[in-house]
Amino acid sequence: MADGDAPPGGYTPDPVGRAPAVRPFLVTAGRVAGTRTGPPIPVETQVVATAEGLRELDRLTFERHDIVAVCRRPQSIAEIAAKLRLHLNVVRVLAEDLRSAGQLSVHVPHAGTAQDASVLRRVIDGLRTIPDSRGALRDSD
Amino acid sequence: MTVTEVTEPPLRPPLPVKMVIAGGFGVGKTTTVGSISEIAPLTTEAAITEVAAGVDDLTHTPHKTTTTVAMDFGTITIDPTLKLYLFGTPGQDRFGFMWDDLVEGAVGALVIVDTRRLDDCYAAVDYFEHKGIPFTVAVNTFDGRMDHQLDEVRWALDVADPVPVIAFDARERGSVRDALLVVLELALARAEG
Repeated sequence: MADGDAPPGGYTPDPVGRAPAVRPFLVTAGRVAGTRTGPPIPVETQVVATAEGLRELDRLTFERHDIVAVCRRPQSIAEIAAKLRLHLNVVRVLAEDLRSAGQLSVHVPHAGTAQDASVLRRVIDGLRTIPDSRGALRDSD
Repeated sequence: MTVTEVTEPPLRPPLPVKMVIAGGFGVGKTTTVGSISEIAPLTTEAAITEVAAGVDDLTHTPHKTTTTVAMDFGTITIDPTLKLYLFGTPGQDRFGFMWDDLVEGAVGALVIVDTRRLDDCYAAVDYFEHKGIPFTVAVNTFDGRMDHQLDEVRWALDVADPVPVIAFDARERGSVRDALLVVLELALARAEG
């Protein structure tokens, strides 16, 4: 599992763009997601900074600081990873740390959501309101 | 990104609902997500560069020189309490190990097919059949053309009758919306059944 979760980018011999200067799992002290409390939390899990986390923001450093800061607004694990250019599993580990410290609130989705007919109907109804093209939204301009 | 002046966290984040966009390399997954997402598709990993050379057959997709090696995704806010996430699977079999992580808890999947390279989607079809996740096969009609009729695609892929096989255009938002709705209706029928 741990091997399978290793970031492919970590082995790119000639990294291009903004490759991380620090090996991703150095910031987690070598820990990988999903080894302590069962499977890793889903990528769509919502994370939001707590009032305590925001109060203590100035005392946090590096990735932990950046994660709490970006979570002023609710974000998914995937969005945090993308916006901060961190490996998904690094975010998972650090989010769990920050949750334990009371600085983040982590909302793991209920397993049954995907089979919840009322939720599915709401998504269907919402999607149906999306117009064919972006231009259609500007008809009133 | 605009400067946020929010000092107190919102009471509750939205309920996330996840759908998977699968298919072979260069089949239009990112285009599909980008056509309907309210944000430009995000990715958690770098683009394929020389790593992909010799591995992926680019001869049929001459304009595509890079692709994402991990996953790209987009979002559709249904309302302040509900948000749909569209996650693209990595295009290569060798990254297949990431799928379980991605697919866990998904309402369903759209498997995008390029009829010039039907073989490329076998892995995805097999995967979702095996997992018992509602999925729809969606033929991406590049340039308005379709080399195979839909019933031929169904026959070639040997998918079960309840699995919808549709045609769509990844570049058209309305077409992508309708394709996602087919997946959701399938998931709803199963949830109600």
